[in-house]
Amino acid sequence: MQQVSIAVDIFIQQILNGLSIASVITLIAIGVTLIFGLTGIINFAHGEFLMIGGIVTWLAVSAGLGFALAVVLAILAVGLMGYVLERGLFRFTLERPTNGFIVSLGLIVVLQHVVVLFWNPNQKSIPRPLTTVWEVGGVRIASVRVMVILITIAVVALSFRMITASRYGRALRASVEDRDTAALMGIPVRRYITGVFVLGSALAGLGGALLIALFPITPFTGGTMVMKGFAVALIGGLGNIYGAVAAGLILGIVEGFSAGYGFSQWTDAYSFVLMILVLIVRPHGLFGGTSGPRMAS
Amino acid sequence: MSIAPKALRSLLPVLVILALIALVPLASPSNRFLSLAISAGINVIALYGLSVLFGQTGILSMGHAALVGVGAYASAILARDFGVGFWLALPVAAIASAVFAMIVGIPSLRVGGHHFVIMTFAFGQLVAIVLTNGGDYTGAATGLDLTDHVTLFDADMTDLTRYYLMVVAFVTAAAVASWAIIHSSYGRTLRAIRENEKLAASLGINVGRHKIGAFVVSGVFAGISGVLLAYFLGHISPSQFSSFPSIYLALMVMIGGARLIEGPLAGGILVAFLPEVLNLDPVQSRIVYGVCLIAVIMLLPDGLIGGIVRALRGLFAGKPKPETERETAPSEARQ
Repeated sequence: MQQVSIAVDIFIQQILNGLSIASVITLIAIGVTLIFGLTGIINFAHGEFLMIGGIVTWLAVSAGLGFALAVVLAILAVGLMGYVLERGLFRFTLERPTNGFIVSLGLIVVLQHVVVLFWNPNQKSIPRPLTTVWEVGGVRIASVRVMVILITIAVVALSFRMITASRYGRALRASVEDRDTAALMGIPVRRYITGVFVLGSALAGLGGALLIALFPITPFTGGTMVMKGFAVALIGGLGNIYGAVAAGLILGIVEGFSAGYGFSQWTDAYSFVLMILVLIVRPHGLFGGTSGPRMAS
Repeated sequence: MSIAPKALRSLLPVLVILALIALVPLASPSNRFLSLAISAGINVIALYGLSVLFGQTGILSMGHAALVGVGAYASAILARDFGVGFWLALPVAAIASAVFAMIVGIPSLRVGGHHFVIMTFAFGQLVAIVLTNGGDYTGAATGLDLTDHVTLFDADMTDLTRYYLMVVAFVTAAAVASWAIIHSSYGRTLRAIRENEKLAASLGINVGRHKIGAFVVSGVFAGISGVLLAYFLGHISPSQFSSFPSIYLALMVMIGGARLIEGPLAGGILVAFLPEVLNLDPVQSRIVYGVCLIAVIMLLPDGLIGGIVRALRGLFAGKPKPETERETAPSEARQ
């Protein structure tokens, strides 16, 4: 009996750990999938957006600001960065998404090393914003993980609501479906593209702030995280937000379990293996995605 | 397969440049210069493979360093477990990388278009993870040592100057091979796929098989480059072949320009020597590479060499000729 209850403890613990990491990955995946769905650009630098969100949080907390304020700053800063990069660079690659992808490769290198240049390549961490650990029937629940999960659920629910129920959301979905026709219907598609870049970047900024609340980060954290974000976006079907959330849950649980049951050195491999397998069986993802925007060519 | 004399003329500048490069040891350069040049040359060999894939076929691989790694590890394991030397390791490693490219290529190209890039990236990461977790067989995170000497006709090639000349010879072979591919009917087939996949398919070209074929060819170049790298460094580790080295390889080939035969040579040399010339530390030089890449893509879509060629033509002809090969990015096949 004792044995069984310990197993259940570990089980619940791992689900919680997995879900908190999955939250951050889902936040990236939504940004990746939205930007791809509307523009066809595979923005590999999205992980660096996340990393910068974490760095901004770290700077703000180190400067004596509270965590909540730091999160807001991270969201604003990365959102602004997304705006500047879209207006300055990605706007010009809309007709050739492959060039947009190559530009994002350049951005990865630049953003990482600018951070290294100013704030050295070492690990950065902040004191946990919430230190309470609840004990519920032998299960130790770190409140900070619960906070990360709840914030993500709230933000994702809000985004869903916005996309499914508001008129802006409808216009956005119409633009994803068919950019040219949407433009003919009077939807300012270009402005929506900018908007999606800003929204995706802001979500990555939030993800970075939440990530640094859980783990220390380095200027190179973005690389692994973006690959997981892409894995999730592809497993769910590129361009499909529901798919991204569902796939994020699957991956989070798989990773949580593998870390809990002694295969931790392979944790980073699961997302890739899962993605490769899913794409071989269902090239458009588990839940069906778009193959990018249709464009008059 | 006959090659027009006009095509031969396009090979000439590269051969002249390479001949000049081979004369460099006469100026008794420093060991540091020679080491840098050797690393650059080894990269250039891999870049020629990447240029066949990206420049001719229009598919971009983000896992090219992993293919180099397969070659490097193959040669190190062959030397350790079977006592196989450099010259026999070359073809074996080239085949190993080519087979690996095929294994990666078949599922990756099935999903097509946008997904291919991400798949190759994932495979690259997987290779690094597998090598790290491979225990004693792959030497885990510390990697493997390879202290055997390379001998040619009883001469020890491990001396820096000799190794340099040998690498130059290999670069020349790679350049000629890639030139031969570009000007063969096979190269034309690949370009047809790049320009319009659907049209190529409707002409009876087996698009999938040719794409995988181009990937396999790029693997052969990568494998040879890997053997040269392993014997040059004497020590290899998984981090050298993860996804970031792949990004740098892609960056080099795009800065140089993937379609012209001078492109990979220029890209490899430029990226290796830029920090020396501008006296930058590694962090600064990487920022410069990134900015260069973005600038090249936005401003000179043919790469640096393509841009220079066009500028020269503009200067001599008064107005730029309409180029047959104008865009860096492949025109994408719409599903």
